[in-house]
Amino acid sequence: MVTVNDTVAPAGTARPGRRPALRRDGRYASVFLAPSLGGLALFTLFPTAMALAISLFDWPVFGERKFLGIENYTQLLGDPVFRRVVLNTTLFVVLYVPLNVIVSLALATWLGPKIRGRQAFRVLFFIPVMTPMVANVMVWRLLFQPGGLLDSGLQSWFGVDAPNFLGSSDWAMPAIVAMSIWQGFGYNFLVFSAALDQVPQSQLESAQIDGAGPFQRFRYVTWPMITPSLFFATTMTLITSFQVFAQPFILTQGGPGVSTQTIVMYVYNQGWQFLSMGLASAAGWVLFVIIMGITAIQFVGQRKWVNYDV
Amino acid sequence: MRATPARARRWLTAAGAVLALTAVAACGGNSGGGESGSGSADKADLTWQFWIGGTEDQAAWQKVADQAHTDHPGITVKLQGTDWNNYWSKIGTLLASGKAPCIIGMQSLRLTSYANAMLPLDDLMQKYGLKTEEFDKPIMDGLKSDGKQIAIPYDSGPMVIFYNKDLFKAAGVPDPKPGWTMDEFKAAAKKLTSAGKTGLVTTPSDLGTASWVRTMTGAEPLAEGKLNLTDSKFVDGFTNWANFVRTDKIAPQVPSGNTDFETTQFVSGKSAMQLNGPWSLIDTLGKVKFNLGIAPIPAGPDGSKTYTAGSGFGISRSCKTPDAAFQAIMSMTSEKPQTTLAAAGRAYPARTSAHPAWFTAAKIPEAKEVIDYASENSVPLVTSKNWVQVNDLLTRFGTQALNGELPPDQALKTIQDQAGAGS
Repeated sequence: MVTVNDTVAPAGTARPGRRPALRRDGRYASVFLAPSLGGLALFTLFPTAMALAISLFDWPVFGERKFLGIENYTQLLGDPVFRRVVLNTTLFVVLYVPLNVIVSLALATWLGPKIRGRQAFRVLFFIPVMTPMVANVMVWRLLFQPGGLLDSGLQSWFGVDAPNFLGSSDWAMPAIVAMSIWQGFGYNFLVFSAALDQVPQSQLESAQIDGAGPFQRFRYVTWPMITPSLFFATTMTLITSFQVFAQPFILTQGGPGVSTQTIVMYVYNQGWQFLSMGLASAAGWVLFVIIMGITAIQFVGQRKWVNYDV
Repeated sequence: MRATPARARRWLTAAGAVLALTAVAACGGNSGGGESGSGSADKADLTWQFWIGGTEDQAAWQKVADQAHTDHPGITVKLQGTDWNNYWSKIGTLLASGKAPCIIGMQSLRLTSYANAMLPLDDLMQKYGLKTEEFDKPIMDGLKSDGKQIAIPYDSGPMVIFYNKDLFKAAGVPDPKPGWTMDEFKAAAKKLTSAGKTGLVTTPSDLGTASWVRTMTGAEPLAEGKLNLTDSKFVDGFTNWANFVRTDKIAPQVPSGNTDFETTQFVSGKSAMQLNGPWSLIDTLGKVKFNLGIAPIPAGPDGSKTYTAGSGFGISRSCKTPDAAFQAIMSMTSEKPQTTLAAAGRAYPARTSAHPAWFTAAKIPEAKEVIDYASENSVPLVTSKNWVQVNDLLTRFGTQALNGELPPDQALKTIQDQAGAGS
């Protein structure tokens, strides 16, 4: 490091030591960082702080605004509908995240280098991620609705009615989770595929020569090497699944009752449908705190299981 | 890399500054006026926000906008379109920011929620001599809020039954006539329900559900401006309606949140009847592959009773040239554009003199008799300020009531409890 600095700052022009060069680097860095820091402040920090401020008001889209303090928050926490909405979101996360990781990891492992047509499969699995959600949901709705594909199929083959997937409180959430997994696993699948390709064949082969079976090879060689990808994938999937909106919004509009309404949908409805910005912002902040908390726990937990030493 | 105290202080200052800025912004309130109107009573460039379905729609409504320029060469109206669902959130933010266009499309059911940001038109109506008696009365009343006229209607229509004449014939059921009773309706629907087909398809919605309740027991969703859903007459009517699916099984189970379900089920010939408004008649006529008939809603103990809804054009409070905007609206709702729209099979016109053109376009012989009959027996569905929320709750819990997941009276109690405070 010292030699580098010596070449950057010609001898005699600067005071001895590394500070001037560092300071100049810092200045250059801040110039280069300024646009994105500005963007961050303007489009992320400011709206977040603004939402916090709005959440302390009774803030109708038209009419008088009134300072409420934390009343919006106490109203939310006392509202059985909001509690149900938080529960729904948690249920979605608890069902969706593990299933998504299992499905994508299993398919990525199965689709090893020896499978013929590997690239074609990869493209195929990634297609649902790229197609617009609205189109996907339309197709799944035709599948799920009474008299739809599943219903009429079951009727003609077995003579029984399918459950009313999108009209029954018991079935609506599983139906949304199923649709979401089909739609979303392709992304993690690609992440895992790339990670698995990085595992050196030589190590797997030497483990095999040492007598390790397929399960042991996966557990003791492959798994530790893909833990950084697993950590990345689970963190990102958790964050996005707490923000689930489009699937229930288009598939069931949060119904029947409030059985599939999620926090983001609640925020959307309060803000843009019922024009009550204060309550919407408060609900948004509740979600923000939940996501921050869970992500923090994951970052603390990763020290125990993520292996960066390969 | 721990932050030194100095650095931490700097961060705190920055965070404090952001919060202070936010607080200033929060107290700023509504500032800034509308930018869209400029000029005098006879000379202005106006912008008109409206819901637009597609390019064909855009062209049809542009002709309506052009009528203002034809009548008043100094006035031009620029049409800005958004699809129906996004329209309402867009209008909400525009009105709130005080930068709304002068002319705003407004639907009767949503009017009360937005009325505060709209200009009452009564003075302008008197000044420019708009003749209210030339419009359908129910919809003229439907576009009032607190007794003040908020918008001038272009379309209206009482809810009526659309039915599949071919299925009726095949099942040996006679065509329904004005005055048919609820018992006759149920008997017909039972006969039509077989082999995977149903006599009726119904989903929860403000206009549809309220119309069924009103004809069955005469109960209304609002009493003196307050939600009235737990009233025993309303509960009875609502239960009778929910029983179409729950116990009578003359209509299929409904999926949640699918606004197309009713239409797709009816148009594909899987259900023989549906409650709908004249505004969809010509559109439906173009989609179906069977003979389409229409009939009034069946009569309950006090006769056939239904609701009317419709839409019109109003002026935002932030408009700087309300006189010019009002003259433009008068042109846009005058006989010529209304007749053109009617002949093109669009909205059922609110102006009575344009009705014949619409009936000619509808090509259904009994349409005139049925719609006239229904109009006579209809009132506007007047809504509350939080109606968007009430309707949202009605679709949620109404679905559970229809599918038998929640007893109908409990569904109504939940809706009333959830929405009651803000009505």
